Amino acid sequence: MNAVAPTPPHLPTVVAQTIPALRAEPTQYLTFQLSGESFAIGILSIKEIIEYHALTEVPMMPACVRGVINLRGAVVPVLDLPARFGRPSSEVTKRTCIVIVEIEAAEERQVIGVIVDAVNEVLDIDATDIEPPPNFGANIRADFIQGMGKVKGKFVILLNVHQVLSINDLQAAGAAASKDVLSLN
Amino acid sequence: MNMDDALATFFAESRELLEQMESSLLAIGQENDTAETVGAIFRAAHTIKGSAGLFGLDDVVNFTHAVESVLDQVRDGRLPVDEPMVALLLACGDHMGALIDAIENNPDQRDEALIARGAPLTERLRAYLGTTVVASTDPQVPFERIGASTCDKDLWHISVRFGADVLRNGMDPLSFIRYLSTLGTVTGIVTLADALPDADAMDPESNYLGFEIAFRSQAEKAVIEGVFDFVLDDCTLNILPPNSRTADYIELISSMPEESARLGEMLVRCGSLTAKELTAALLAQEQLHPEVPIGSILVERGSVSAPVVAAALEKQKRVKEHKAQESQSIRVDAEKLDQLINMIGELIIASAGANVIARRARSTELQECHSTLSDLVERVRDSALQLRMVKIGATFNRFQRVVHDVSREIGKDIALIVNGEDTELDKTVVEKIGDPLTHLVRNAMDHGIDSPELRVQRGKPARGTVSLNAYHDSGSIVIEVGDDGGGLHREKILAKAIERGLVDPGRVLSDAEICALIFEPGFSTADEVTNLSGRGVGMDVVKRNITALRGSVDIASQPGVGTTVTVRLPLTLAIINGFQVGVGKSVFVVPLDMVDECVEFTADQGHDYTDLRGQVLPFIRLRDLFEVPGTAGTRQNIVVVKHAGQKFGLVVDTLMGEAQTVIKPLSSMFAQVKGISGSSILGTGDVALILDVPALMQEAQFPVSHTPQLA
Repeated sequence: MNAVAPTPPHLPTVVAQTIPALRAEPTQYLTFQLSGESFAIGILSIKEIIEYHALTEVPMMPACVRGVINLRGAVVPVLDLPARFGRPSSEVTKRTCIVIVEIEAAEERQVIGVIVDAVNEVLDIDATDIEPPPNFGANIRADFIQGMGKVKGKFVILLNVHQVLSINDLQAAGAAASKDVLSLN
Repeated sequence: MNMDDALATFFAESRELLEQMESSLLAIGQENDTAETVGAIFRAAHTIKGSAGLFGLDDVVNFTHAVESVLDQVRDGRLPVDEPMVALLLACGDHMGALIDAIENNPDQRDEALIARGAPLTERLRAYLGTTVVASTDPQVPFERIGASTCDKDLWHISVRFGADVLRNGMDPLSFIRYLSTLGTVTGIVTLADALPDADAMDPESNYLGFEIAFRSQAEKAVIEGVFDFVLDDCTLNILPPNSRTADYIELISSMPEESARLGEMLVRCGSLTAKELTAALLAQEQLHPEVPIGSILVERGSVSAPVVAAALEKQKRVKEHKAQESQSIRVDAEKLDQLINMIGELIIASAGANVIARRARSTELQECHSTLSDLVERVRDSALQLRMVKIGATFNRFQRVVHDVSREIGKDIALIVNGEDTELDKTVVEKIGDPLTHLVRNAMDHGIDSPELRVQRGKPARGTVSLNAYHDSGSIVIEVGDDGGGLHREKILAKAIERGLVDPGRVLSDAEICALIFEPGFSTADEVTNLSGRGVGMDVVKRNITALRGSVDIASQPGVGTTVTVRLPLTLAIINGFQVGVGKSVFVVPLDMVDECVEFTADQGHDYTDLRGQVLPFIRLRDLFEVPGTAGTRQNIVVVKHAGQKFGLVVDTLMGEAQTVIKPLSSMFAQVKGISGSSILGTGDVALILDVPALMQEAQFPVSHTPQLA
């Protein structure tokens, strides 16, 4: 900050917002752990990180929708990423957090919580350090992956939040789930 | 006051007035007191014109003026109010609405095409005027701006006599003339000092002067008139457009209190007339009006300047009316109301939180204090919600017009009967219910009511009836759209459904199920597509819109007798009284209005019904339906809920009592979840889900097979 001290205070945020889009300079990502694996989400879509607390389950929804929480008066759905990837969910520990993500889908702002095992750090990942996603092998649907970031000699899966948290997808899954329940009835 | 704000008020008011005008027009012929109704229509048109004039919306003024003139004649009984007249006036009302809309949407640009569309209407209005006005007055009375046959000067002539009190009222006559010169050039001016008394009798605070002004300008008459807006009540103003016929000048001359010859001289002096013309004119005057008394000329002049006088009167009246209205109601931004209701929602949540703590602290004092508080909060909530409640009558009345127009279009004689106009419901619901209702009413008219011949054949009156009814029923509002037509053709619907693969052939369906089929997307049994319906896009949209409002729609039909569509809607979308129940660790909220009673759970294993005082009561086990983990306790309860006249039970673990519930919308990813209508935040901060009782009942009654298009 000391280098940019003489510039007007609004400038740094402008820089942070425009440059990644224009020149794909190092972008900041939040890395977190899920069942021992490292994932990352672009920092711009993250609103906040809150401690895990009990949530209200919504019946007739697929396993990946864990329920809803009260986020300062707003009711926010919370997703279980391992379940979304088709893996077994992980246990809730002391380090479990809910990352609140904001995405824009169909001209509507959606706020969705994501349960993660632990939050690691915010990293700058240079565009040149991002590899295209592998066609297979990651055990995750290819369209969920935005790229593979190289951090300290290891790969971090950069998630495409728009795909992972796609409302349409979840809606369809919800429809199927609620139909199953009702036909059992 | 900001001009934009004022303009927005004008738009809102005009629309209301147009609505009034429309409903009054439609009421003509139904009521005995036609004079009163016509008066109301005239006042509406008059006020719109007056207000539009204030904002300089000339297109609106010009068009409305024609309408008003006709209405004036009608009011005086000089023109009859018959069917074609009502139709014409309705069309004029629509055009006025369109003009106002155009200005609101695009204030800087004149919509020439739209204005042109008004021309035929104006023509037809003129035709009405032509038959009376011209016949009853001098045929020589010229309209404004007639070809330059006798006078080739491109000059306006303005004749103004300021009243004695002008100066005392703070107006300076000279400043008007100065302002006038910003619109064009004053080419000649003569001051009339005839009224000036002797020096010792003169009051220095009084005005005695008048002016004759020749004026060159491209401005329109209304603009020039506008210059004198402030003194209109206090002066005599005559404006003659350029190229006016000499006769106009004669009239002007004879109408003025000053001696004719002298006035004529002045006109010559200020350059509006040539001396030769004057002589010709004075001569002509004698020939033309040999013994026309000055009074009748004055009256005639009165008709010429009627708009001026009317505008002045209008302005006074408007101010008075405005004041009267202000004391009765306040116009509030809907957004502000929403904000208030949101805040009251937060207040309720906070108050519930305080209640939880008060109970936990076991302090009687605190609990008592809190109960007073929550009582107040409840009352605040009720009155805040009441603010948003509007009567459904206004919405219903719109359908008078729909029925009027559609019945003409399809050649059926149909009357609309409206009941329960005073039933109140939330404004947001009212706004969204208009379109679905329109669909239903049109459908009833087009499909429901048979042709007059067929009706007579069946022994019914030739005139069909469509009815709208509204009433409150257990926390919801019920709107019924009924017709006395032929009813639904069961076989036709079934055949069509089988043809479209919605139903397996050979399946036996109940009446209710068959009726429900018409809400399937793309379903239509009409043999031919008409302008109104038959494309099969109606009923499913209706159903979708109503479901989106947490409402439901049912249809009941009796062959040969009629069809009734029943729409049920929640009274409000924001806050409800809820009844909290616990299943395992989850808390659910049942809308309290739907809860009938609570009984202890007693039932044998193996079937889902119980004995409620000798009646069979089917029930839904919420634990099973929602797959709540854990096993049921030893003491379960049944909450008996009723909806649409049917009762059923919900089996829950614990009853937690009633609480105010602020409805929070759920993310759209839960849109497909049946049986949950929303969520709410409890006093503890946890989220509770609100049960959708109608959906639960529906799903219990017609499990899945009911929606085959999803399969």
